[in-house]
Amino acid sequence: MNITIEQADPSRRPRDAKTGEPLQLTREPGYYPRFSTLSQSPFWDEATRLTVEKRVQSSPQMKFFTEEEWKFWATVFAHLIPQTDRTADRQISIVGPLDHRLYLNQTVGYRYESMPHDRDIYKTYGIEAINQESQERYGGDFLLLPHLHQDLVLKAIHDRKPLSGKDIWKKMSIHRFWQLIMGDAIDAYYAHPWAWDEVGFGGPAYPRAYTRLERGEPEPWEVEEKPYDWLAPAASVSDEVESTAYHHTESDQNSHTSKPRSK
Amino acid sequence: MKKPILGAFEGPPNERHMLGALQHIDLPMRRFRESDEVDYVIVGVGSAGGVLLQRLARAGFNVVGLEAGPFWDTEKDWVSDEAGSHDLYWEDPRITGGSDPLALGANNCGKGVGGGSVHWAAFTPRFHPSDFEVYTRDGVGADWPISYADIKPYYEQLELEMPVAGPAYYPWGHPHGYAYGPHPMGGVGNALIKGCTALNIPVSIGGPVAILSGSHGDRPHCIYRGFCIQGCKVGAKASTLITHVPDALKKGAEIRERCMVSRVELGKQGRVTGVHYFDLAGDLHFQKAKAVIISGYAIETPRLLLNSSCPGFERGLANSSDTLGRYLMAQAGNVVMGRFDRPVRQYKAPPAHALTEEFYETDPKNDFARGFAIQTVGPLPIAFGKQILAAKSAWGWGLRREMMDYNHWAAFGLLGEILPWPDNRVTLADEKDGHGLPIAHVSFDLHDNDKKLIKAAKEKTMEVMEAAGAIEVVQEARYAHLVGACRMGSDPRKSVVDKFGRSHDIPNLFVCDGSILPTQGSANPGLTIQALAARTADYLVSQGQAIFNSNERNLSSPTIRRDLAPPETWGKGVPRIK
Repeated sequence: MNITIEQADPSRRPRDAKTGEPLQLTREPGYYPRFSTLSQSPFWDEATRLTVEKRVQSSPQMKFFTEEEWKFWATVFAHLIPQTDRTADRQISIVGPLDHRLYLNQTVGYRYESMPHDRDIYKTYGIEAINQESQERYGGDFLLLPHLHQDLVLKAIHDRKPLSGKDIWKKMSIHRFWQLIMGDAIDAYYAHPWAWDEVGFGGPAYPRAYTRLERGEPEPWEVEEKPYDWLAPAASVSDEVESTAYHHTESDQNSHTSKPRSK
Repeated sequence: MKKPILGAFEGPPNERHMLGALQHIDLPMRRFRESDEVDYVIVGVGSAGGVLLQRLARAGFNVVGLEAGPFWDTEKDWVSDEAGSHDLYWEDPRITGGSDPLALGANNCGKGVGGGSVHWAAFTPRFHPSDFEVYTRDGVGADWPISYADIKPYYEQLELEMPVAGPAYYPWGHPHGYAYGPHPMGGVGNALIKGCTALNIPVSIGGPVAILSGSHGDRPHCIYRGFCIQGCKVGAKASTLITHVPDALKKGAEIRERCMVSRVELGKQGRVTGVHYFDLAGDLHFQKAKAVIISGYAIETPRLLLNSSCPGFERGLANSSDTLGRYLMAQAGNVVMGRFDRPVRQYKAPPAHALTEEFYETDPKNDFARGFAIQTVGPLPIAFGKQILAAKSAWGWGLRREMMDYNHWAAFGLLGEILPWPDNRVTLADEKDGHGLPIAHVSFDLHDNDKKLIKAAKEKTMEVMEAAGAIEVVQEARYAHLVGACRMGSDPRKSVVDKFGRSHDIPNLFVCDGSILPTQGSANPGLTIQALAARTADYLVSQGQAIFNSNERNLSSPTIRRDLAPPETWGKGVPRIK
């Protein structure tokens, strides 16, 4: 089994909740043992099968980014959606589909007026903002920092509490930036059938149909859930979540992370 | 079973243009020449454009639909896949701003024949009688130039043409029933029923949705695969692509796909003479027409008219009132998510399958006017991931962990009425698109009434989710749908078009789509848009040649022409309208 440099470091691996020991590397993280949406692809319609199989089989191509930019964003995405629990052959490329999107200049169909163009963000503004924050906090560019410090730099942006980059954040809204890079990460990772297996999503079902609609029962070709407890890796700060339900408008919810003092 | 007995499923024979699993259309279709002065050119073949095209062709008019996107072959072009469905959405560049900027694209804008009806969830509640007189009742918003009684026969008619499945008795607004049976419940619908029932709130089960609960003609029944928003490959969910376009083509209408209209031409007599458009290769053409109908929806319709400014109409064509682009509306669409002990598997069943309109009307006990609905939604993993990102501020390992619980969550969407405000508007940006046309800038601010309504709606929806037994309830604030920006009204100084969609300024220029709505209620707009299109079509048919050779504005209402519906949709078998 191939172990990446990152995985060889035990502080980077998710841990068993009881023993605190690193979890075994796995081809299939998640609570649905041996569930494989891809194994069902003969039951999918042809167009869907071709689309999904192409996603799995094609290797990512670098057309938009330079090698250095590619490495930068691949490192950022390794924090936004970490995969050190997955065996090396089953890691899902995020920077690959992003490069493809930017190469074709595809967008979601709108740009916030508080934001530069996506291409400029990924080529310059985003890299500069993250590097400046890295310099300010730890005295080095992002790629040179130890993993935990990189996590802390990104957490500062997640928290909308950067110590630096005032000029950049004037030209680029920090919360829309976070939304953009997280959105791209989610778009790539959860588009992959290996991620569907991980979350127990049944995937395409035309023309066969879903038949067990109630009580969360699995189809004959799905599997029952077998949850287990796990802890995030020691060298990470991204495991905390916080309900933001006290905000009721989109602009408030996405521009704050902590509860407003007055209610 | 590892594989289907005869091997992996294959697509249909190549030469067939499929609309759903069974229906196909026979090409070639009729082609007009650009030098032909056709009767009507329709810009945009979506929810409204598809119905208009069908009605006008069936009445014998020469009609061409120009559609910016593709003419879908649903077997080849569509996939059961979130990431593979971007072509269904209008993703050309736009700028969004204001203090409460709207997400556009996949959230509310379609591209291609069928338009937004291709990717709607297909909830089809009617507007309530109160929606047509909001200003009279509450002193806010606007009154419509028509009443519920004017549109009611068209609701009944379109509910049969789509057709709509739902309960036999629907208690809100003008109470009515649905002729086609309701759908079985999925996990999300069951949660909504449980939560509402615990709080003594009535709930509509299994509809109203424009999704077939049983096979109908050459359209199969729903298979509950949950990919409604990615386009229904089955052909069970109604879109004008499969409900009206096939009949339109049979009756001699032409659809020109991938044609982007750039400008409406105003002639010397104060009447429009046709439209300029770019074909796929980028070549510019001009189609002559006796009358023009714009059906481009709430952003592209005002954008086209603004881009068609000319001497006499410097602020935009048909914009003497300065209301063009204004009063744009989106509904509050906050998604409330509940985590349950037991699995839900919310990806099964159509996202739309149960709702309550118990809080739709103005309640004097509230500190705001108007109200909201609560509906089921069933986000697939990518959509759900982004909701968790907003609702729980999740990233990294936290996001991975939350997502591993995907099957334990159920999601409700509230639909809250946001009032029309003049500064919520579409204007032109300095930036240009690939054709060199100025792109749309959308500005949106919430006002006091809107914010109070959203807060109350969010709290009530969370309460229902808790009552359903959720062990954790979180919420993502967002918006749903778009209407307005080209409002209809009786007063030419305060609106762009009259009650039939005819522009006040130019007698042979019409607008027919969601942009003409003066207010939006808290009902999904799709049914109302199609009902208005059928009504406008009846009006145009009743006026005959007068539209083409007279500037006279006859405002008498037409009688409904049920005989112009696609065949086999009414008048035979069950159900019947008398």
